[in-house]
Amino acid sequence: MLFAGIDVGSTTSKCVLLSDGEVAGAALVDMGIGTAGPERAYSEALAAAGAAPEDVACCVATGYGRASWKGADLTISELTAHGLGNRFLFPEARTVIDIGGQDAKVIELDAGGRMANFVMNDKCAAGTGRFLEVMAGVLRVPIGELEALAAQAEKAAPISSTCTVFAESEVISQLAAGTPVPDVVAGICVSVASRVAALAKRAGVKEQVCMSGGVARNGGVRRALERALGVPIVWSAQAQLAGALGAALHAWHKSEGQRGEVKYG
Amino acid sequence: MNTRELLSRFHAVASDPRGQMKKYLEAGERVVLTAPVYTPEELVHAMGLVPMGAWGADMPLEGAKEYFPAFICSVMQSILELGMKGVYDGASAIVIPSLCDSLKCLGQNWKYAVPAIPFIPMTYPQNRWGRVGTGFTRAGYERVIADLERATGAKFDPAGLAESIKVYNAHNAAMRRLDEALAVHAEIGAAQRSDLFKSAFFMKKEEHTAWVEELLAALEGEEPGAPKIKVMTTGILCDSPALLDIFDDLGLHIAADDVAAQSRQYRTDCAETGDPLDALAEKFAAMGCCSVLYDPDKKRPRTVVEQAKARGAKGVVVALTKFCDPEEFDVPFIKRECQAAGLPVALVEIDRQMVNFEQARTLLETFRDVLE
Repeated sequence: MLFAGIDVGSTTSKCVLLSDGEVAGAALVDMGIGTAGPERAYSEALAAAGAAPEDVACCVATGYGRASWKGADLTISELTAHGLGNRFLFPEARTVIDIGGQDAKVIELDAGGRMANFVMNDKCAAGTGRFLEVMAGVLRVPIGELEALAAQAEKAAPISSTCTVFAESEVISQLAAGTPVPDVVAGICVSVASRVAALAKRAGVKEQVCMSGGVARNGGVRRALERALGVPIVWSAQAQLAGALGAALHAWHKSEGQRGEVKYG
Repeated sequence: MNTRELLSRFHAVASDPRGQMKKYLEAGERVVLTAPVYTPEELVHAMGLVPMGAWGADMPLEGAKEYFPAFICSVMQSILELGMKGVYDGASAIVIPSLCDSLKCLGQNWKYAVPAIPFIPMTYPQNRWGRVGTGFTRAGYERVIADLERATGAKFDPAGLAESIKVYNAHNAAMRRLDEALAVHAEIGAAQRSDLFKSAFFMKKEEHTAWVEELLAALEGEEPGAPKIKVMTTGILCDSPALLDIFDDLGLHIAADDVAAQSRQYRTDCAETGDPLDALAEKFAAMGCCSVLYDPDKKRPRTVVEQAKARGAKGVVVALTKFCDPEEFDVPFIKRECQAAGLPVALVEIDRQMVNFEQARTLLETFRDVLE
């Protein structure tokens, strides 16, 4: 019997299938709400698990497009899902920083793992994955290369953390002034980190701090965020799947009242 | 009429203020617009005029942007927009108080953007207490009276004001009882609750009181619906149907409010003895716990916590009107006081131009999970 969690995000779709507390299949598709991405993620996760749709006992949808996923038995907000998913990945976690494609959230967990407080960014792309995408576009470098470029920087160039549109023209000005690309990229990472750090401080930062969502893969942002917050940040290679994992856990708990540990297969 | 029919009646008025205004105008009445947050409606009422609340509307803003900067309260902008679009045509005047910087801008812009409807300023003092404070307030009222007489030809009479004060006190009492009843009747949705308060701005108070009394009588005979998760709201405004539907969808019951457009209007009564104009100034001095009223002791956060606890609310939703400086200054104090009292707080930013409520839904859904 499988329990499915599907996270329909603004730019990606993720699916995790649980069986007896173990991840039986997972998939991530770089297509979000309003595309065939959710269906593909679901099908690919089923294929990875060698299962059929009728093997799924309960499906919980989360993410920005959770209401659009017709196959859901239940929906939960992405904050609840990331809180659940990260607590299972990091049992000591008290603060979860989730930087997604179009927003950023900070979740405070109590000692028992329950969500105690949370904050979301306002309607602005600054401090989100979208900010990095726009900047990567301006620099004409693949977004996956930002981390390696930031690591080559000698000195991060100052980039505004206030507004994506203003920051874009600042990046162009920096390039026009001859600032090396790695320094500009490092400045971009610092900009995202400074915005998210301010959000995290509003929620209250308690260790252990973990990072979730697609931007967690970017070491440049992670390290800048560690410096801004003054605490180490843990992350998982599965960070982008944490929301879908949390949704799958919710499906499992709702169906069977389980509280067991989840293992990635 | 049963409860459902009575609620529909309030909804019809709340959702069609222009229709309501037209009805009064066609009956030969003269309508005076009263802008937020506290306008001395009693003066307008006492002169035989119909006070009609002007709190703006959820709408795209186009013409108003010619007069206002981009980052200013959308309530003010939408009031001007409605004026420029002719929605208030037929009104004899608009009274705009000076309770925040945005309201002051609205008054000055109104003179040029909507010249057909005379602007009457109600200038309140910052320090509203003592002989000097109440004297200043009284002078403001006298200015409003003189301007109303000039704009409408109606005459002011202190005896008429004394009668109007009684009408408004009776309405306050009815609204407070209604608020208590709504805390128990979870089956009345958040949007329906909003209609009950919003409609009060578009009706003569004696008419609204009669409707509220009817509803209270109907509710007394009914078993309250199944309990939901009780929350309290606080802010300037919380009347967007799309936002309020989210409360209902998520099983959140607004059991109390500290919203300027709702319960804050009805907390303070006016003395029915002595000089009525002085009594009205004393009423303003006695008001408090509001972001636009000078509050050196910051009593509002404590009041929010006490009210939430008294009503059994499990959390507080701050409906923060975007670019409202006075409210923004109060939010850290409210959060701190609530958190110290073990009351979770959710902050939802709202404005009159919101068309997408997905972020608000996610936030409230997560808040519900925290409260559960």
